[in-house]
Amino acid sequence: MMWRDVGVTLILSLILPVVAQGARHTPPGKPKLTSCRSPDKETFTCWWEAGSDGGRPTTYSLFYHKENSETVYECPDYHTAGANSCFFSKNETSIWVNYNITVVATNALGNNFSDPVDVDVVYIVQPHTPENVTVGVLEDEDGPFLRVSWEPPSKADTRSGWITLIYELRVKLEEAEEWEEHRAGQQKMFNIFSLHSGGVYMVQVRCKPDHGFWSEWSTASYVIVPDYIPRERSMWILIAVFSAFIFLILTWIITLNRSSVKHCLLPPVPGPKIKGFDQQLLKKGKPEEVFNSLVVQSFPPRSTDYEDLLVEYLEVYVNEKQELMPEGKDLQDVGCLKSKSQSDNDSGRGSCDSHTLLMEKCGGVESKDESSYEEPELLQGQAGSWERLERGDSQVVDTPDSSDGRVKTWPLVFSPSIHGSSDNHHYGTLEMPKQHSTSEITYSVPDHLFPTSTSFPHHHHPEYRDSLGEYSEYRCSRSPSTGVAYHWEARHPTQAHSNFNIRNLERQKEATGLGLPPSRSMEYVEVQKVNQENQLVLKPLSSHGRGPFQVQFGRAGVDYSKVNGVNNDNVLLLQRQREMAEAGQYCNYREKEGAEAERYPTQQQGKTTKDGPVATQLQESTCLTTSGYVDTAPTMPTF
Amino acid sequence: TSQSLSSVSVVSLHPLLLLFLCMCQASAAPICVHGQAGCHFLSLADLFDRVIQHSARMHSISSDLHSEFEQYVLPSRNHIGRINRHCHTATILTPNGKENAQRLAVSLTTLFNQLLFTIVLPLSASCSNLVCSLMVLPLSASCSNLVCSLMVLPLSMQHLGMISNSLSGLSSPEALDPSSDTSGESQAMSDHDLLYCFRRDSNKVQNYLKILKCRIVPENGC
Repeated sequence: MMWRDVGVTLILSLILPVVAQGARHTPPGKPKLTSCRSPDKETFTCWWEAGSDGGRPTTYSLFYHKENSETVYECPDYHTAGANSCFFSKNETSIWVNYNITVVATNALGNNFSDPVDVDVVYIVQPHTPENVTVGVLEDEDGPFLRVSWEPPSKADTRSGWITLIYELRVKLEEAEEWEEHRAGQQKMFNIFSLHSGGVYMVQVRCKPDHGFWSEWSTASYVIVPDYIPRERSMWILIAVFSAFIFLILTWIITLNRSSVKHCLLPPVPGPKIKGFDQQLLKKGKPEEVFNSLVVQSFPPRSTDYEDLLVEYLEVYVNEKQELMPEGKDLQDVGCLKSKSQSDNDSGRGSCDSHTLLMEKCGGVESKDESSYEEPELLQGQAGSWERLERGDSQVVDTPDSSDGRVKTWPLVFSPSIHGSSDNHHYGTLEMPKQHSTSEITYSVPDHLFPTSTSFPHHHHPEYRDSLGEYSEYRCSRSPSTGVAYHWEARHPTQAHSNFNIRNLERQKEATGLGLPPSRSMEYVEVQKVNQENQLVLKPLSSHGRGPFQVQFGRAGVDYSKVNGVNNDNVLLLQRQREMAEAGQYCNYREKEGAEAERYPTQQQGKTTKDGPVATQLQESTCLTTSGYVDTAPTMPTF
Repeated sequence: TSQSLSSVSVVSLHPLLLLFLCMCQASAAPICVHGQAGCHFLSLADLFDRVIQHSARMHSISSDLHSEFEQYVLPSRNHIGRINRHCHTATILTPNGKENAQRLAVSLTTLFNQLLFTIVLPLSASCSNLVCSLMVLPLSASCSNLVCSLMVLPLSMQHLGMISNSLSGLSSPEALDPSSDTSGESQAMSDHDLLYCFRRDSNKVQNYLKILKCRIVPENGC
């Protein structure tokens, strides 16, 4: 009994480990064929993976059989392709034949079959990677580009046409992340454009048969693209440099001729060229001094001193009856003369105009001034007879040279009224000769009126030569400003005073003794000045006393002839009047118009020209009175 | 006994081949062999390229057909008997390796003809159901193109003196005649197998053409 128990326990102790040991062993797990690949369509290899081994060493075997054949073959080569692989050589490989492959795992406890797999070699071709991948950088007109070239894997027979491979490559910059893939077809070369200059590129190539699997990518090929300046840019750089060079040259030239360029572009503003103008004074800020320097002393004539100018008005009246009204103003005379000066603006005309003009003037004045002057009577005759007297020295009047074109005149004598009264101032009216031009007019002035010392202030005709010493020169000039203002410029070299028998301001009624018509009385007036308007400002001599000369009327015993006018030929027309009593007979004043006297040149013409000659020729008036002393014309110088 | 098919001569051709010839001549542009006037002259390389393109297209169509058949039609079917698939063209000895193919390159032209006949004929006559017929229609069109273009090849090659009239390694003419097949086998051939076989045969044709091209005109692509 005891032996039975020991035996059971021994058996149990022996069996249990065995049993326990036997529990850990199982038949192998099911293997699995992973893939079969052919690199060249001539051989192929299959791989499997093993299942659980079941604790025991298991062996794997591969069995296959071909299509439409029951013969089972085992794998000829388990080692060439590595572990768990089966390599089918060329002899065992048939194309266009289905292979049915099965792997069996066998261990001590059993075996296990894998699932069968149908394989047609044509469709499991996966070539090797392309070989000899070369990358080069080439350049054309557009820039650099890559040229990649390769060769097919050596095992794949593409030369006989057995395998047709298509290729693919990919490119990227070294630092980029994504590849840029390109299909190359069956060609073994490819160009890649639009590169970044100075970048490093990586290139890989792979291939695939027309019915198969893609190969692995080849190992990367690196290439450096050099820096490239396009030709366009270089051309532009050249152009820029060239233009900069030209610009520098132009700037240099302009800098050299800076002044002339500035003169050309910005012409200087002409500065003032005023004679006597001192810019420095202006800059100092004293304009008064500047302008004072501009003032010419001689111009404009100052109103305070007109004695230098022998501008005198001589108003001629023909007044039969009444006495000449004293004029309160000297200007009235002037006004008479110049009231209607606007009518004629021609130079030379109208200043010493016709008698009619004078009449108009005087007529206007008459109405204004209530003068007793009667216009129509102006023509008729004069109360006084005027005669031209010769001087005592019997100097011929024609002595003055004709070069200066002046005619010396004799002092005018207002005969009737002056004769009797030496202290009286009489009106003296001098007929204004008709003068079309501003030529000088000569009048015969009784000498005794201005005996010797009628020296007038020397006016501004320096050419005047006085041989007689007592010549007065009358110029009928026309002032452009005042129109037909009559300017009588008398120049007497000797005397300072100009005493004319100008229409006096005061009336004298003592003309009777002189044989003058009662209406006429004469006085000496003194030309005081010439006012602004070129008017003679007269001043009766009574206040100042007579001048050095005295008119001695009636002593000379001569008759005075009044100048009627000047005719066309610059001829003084004297009126012969024998008796003053023949007041009623007045010769018609012959008017002549259209004198062809030389025009008195305007003052602007300078002094070179001759002053217009005054009518010199003396003709007898048509109305001759008897026994009037009239100088003959030839004695008067003609100009 | 294997009877060698005569060369591609009009007289000894199978009546179907004659039919195809007439078809091709009517549709295709005339190809000048002798350099006649008014003909478009194509170089041999161009001819081969054309043919290869046709064959490639045919193969792609057949592959699509087969995969669609397996995807939509076959799951309901039983896979039994799949190993015993027999293509009706299995009787034609075709090189199944590169060396064999290169060795038999001379006779490939006739093989093409036979191959095409085996393709076209069973396809047109062996479709048992409508699906197969509808699927085969594009095949037949491309086949006709391939056939027409293939017709020219042996003629031009024979003219060039590359091939002789002798044919070797040809399969027995019984293979060409569908009636020779056992009705059991032909009937057993399912549509799936038909498409499978057709896909394979088109691949063969394409490969053979490429080999022939690289042998005759090895300029580019070889």
